[in-house]
Amino acid sequence: MSTGTIALILSFSIAMVVVSFLIGIWAKKKATSAQAYFGATGMFGPVAVGLSSMAGIASAFAIVGVPGIIYSTGNPMTFWMLSGAAFAMSYIILGKRMRAMAEVAPISSLGDVCDVRFNNNKLIKACMSIIICLGCVGYLAAQISAGSALIANLVNIKPIVAGLIIFGLLTVYTALSGEVGGLLSQAFQGAIMVFAGLVLIIAFFAVTGGFGGVLEAVAANPTVTGATNGVTKEFNPNLLGAWGTYPGGISLTWMLIPILGCVGQPQVLTRMYAVKNPKDLPKAGLVTAITHTIVGFLAVCAAYGAMYLVATGKIEPLAKADTAIYAFADYLGIWAQLLVYAAVLAAALSSASMFLTSSATLLSKDLTSAVGIKIAPEKQIGVTRVFMFILGAIAIVVSIYSSEMVALLGTFGWGTLVSGTFPVFVVGLLWKRCNETGTLVGVAYSLIFNILPLVTSFKYPSTLPAYFITSAIAVALTVIVSLITKKPELNKETELVMDL
Amino acid sequence: MNIKNKETPIWVLIAILWVVIIFLGTKGHFVIGMCLGVLLMFLHMLLGVAKNGVVSKKFLFYPMIIWAVLWLVSFILSGYWGTMFDGVMPSFTILGFHPSFAPTVFLYWLGGQLTLNLGLYLLPDEWLSDAEWKEFCDKAHALKNK
Repeated sequence: MSTGTIALILSFSIAMVVVSFLIGIWAKKKATSAQAYFGATGMFGPVAVGLSSMAGIASAFAIVGVPGIIYSTGNPMTFWMLSGAAFAMSYIILGKRMRAMAEVAPISSLGDVCDVRFNNNKLIKACMSIIICLGCVGYLAAQISAGSALIANLVNIKPIVAGLIIFGLLTVYTALSGEVGGLLSQAFQGAIMVFAGLVLIIAFFAVTGGFGGVLEAVAANPTVTGATNGVTKEFNPNLLGAWGTYPGGISLTWMLIPILGCVGQPQVLTRMYAVKNPKDLPKAGLVTAITHTIVGFLAVCAAYGAMYLVATGKIEPLAKADTAIYAFADYLGIWAQLLVYAAVLAAALSSASMFLTSSATLLSKDLTSAVGIKIAPEKQIGVTRVFMFILGAIAIVVSIYSSEMVALLGTFGWGTLVSGTFPVFVVGLLWKRCNETGTLVGVAYSLIFNILPLVTSFKYPSTLPAYFITSAIAVALTVIVSLITKKPELNKETELVMDL
Repeated sequence: MNIKNKETPIWVLIAILWVVIIFLGTKGHFVIGMCLGVLLMFLHMLLGVAKNGVVSKKFLFYPMIIWAVLWLVSFILSGYWGTMFDGVMPSFTILGFHPSFAPTVFLYWLGGQLTLNLGLYLLPDEWLSDAEWKEFCDKAHALKNK
């Protein structure tokens, strides 16, 4: 890459971080109450909520890792990336009840919703908070690691320096403005991802002639070996079929868990009470769906674009599949490189700020109250800010210096969050017969079986991912135990919400 | 359609479905598992869209039933063509896509958008009307002020 190109990419990246920082600082004046700071409760319209939801969901992994997975194993991952219908499904399932909770009680975090539904049950809240926190910290570490490496490689500086500058600034503005600044800056970063996606999708069709062109090229050249790097790429005939080269159970998992599991993601759940009016949720759903469609399709097009370039001999087979999007952008030229780097950085920043706020809120507010530590309401924002600074600093250092820890935390992701939130929010807010005992058994099972594989050699006797099985069993246990134990007496607030 | 007294049987069915889907996925019957997954998602939406146990028939037909049919057809066609062209290049394409992948693009992805996202946008009152929200807010404020 030429010096001029690097300078341009770097300038654009710096500009994006600075604008995000300024948005965060500006938003500080709006974060005046606990509800605003922690939840941006009832503050935003459908465009901001829709864009920020998409940006929170589409992490750096979606832009970089997904094209690599599709390049090497084919289409199962497209079930995940083309899951735009998940947002409307989430709002249909839980949107109005989640938003309604904010009318019957002062809701600023997921723990508050749990308190209202389960009569301040501390054990449920503690288990749920730990599970969500594991998932959020895992995501946070992965974003910092990816974003820092991206810039460090570009300008040949140490990753810790890049991490401290980019994510240090992010920590400052997120800590000062809370979820208000987080949501607004994510909306801005989401808009950048959408713009980059649109341009690169058009470029994909211009270069390849469309998906038919890719299929023809791959069929004509099933094996390609690089003349310089010696890497061989085998284009398996199943690669471009629906199930790719993975066992079919992976397609089942990557369809069901992202689609139905979308309703269990904190970045979707918390946005349900961030809208001013629940009637904005259908509009927000449409905004999220359209923008997610563009960003998801970008990942698919980048993978197919790289396949086409390799099959037609325009580039050599990739030594590392994760470089698929960069290889495609490099072929297109400087403007594509600029957009790809901007999109990756925007994705890393938006997801990082989302998960930083969520983790800090869970640790400093929900988990502390669950274990009986009382923090005066007027001091809560200040305490969380301190937590956020500390968590941000630790996450930057650990993410960059401990690749083992990043890998370990990386195992807690989407599926972990599903297993922790479904028993509490989905079963809890849709079924009046769901009681505290059932929910506690469900979340306790999730907590134990998310951690157990890390500390022991435990494995489910199945080829399906463990998070899928844990989520399924947690829901089943919640239902069964609720049924065989005492019928709950719902408080009036919960009854009113569940009848909506 | 009134599901008020059917919520518990629905949840029992949901619990069974989760476990059966895991079993089918483990045993390699993933296409059937995906089809049952559609039923699982449908049941969640049924419970979510219900207003005090009553589901709008209009919303039930479109977007929900049409969505379910599109996705079922998508998975079945992908399974059919996936088996037909397993290990070989396909002898035809559908608008340039591998025949087993085309249903994912047109029915799963675009079909999902045109049913669930567009349906919720076009029929928001069937999910929650202004009058229902106002009535709820009035009750909520009365409860708070007690």
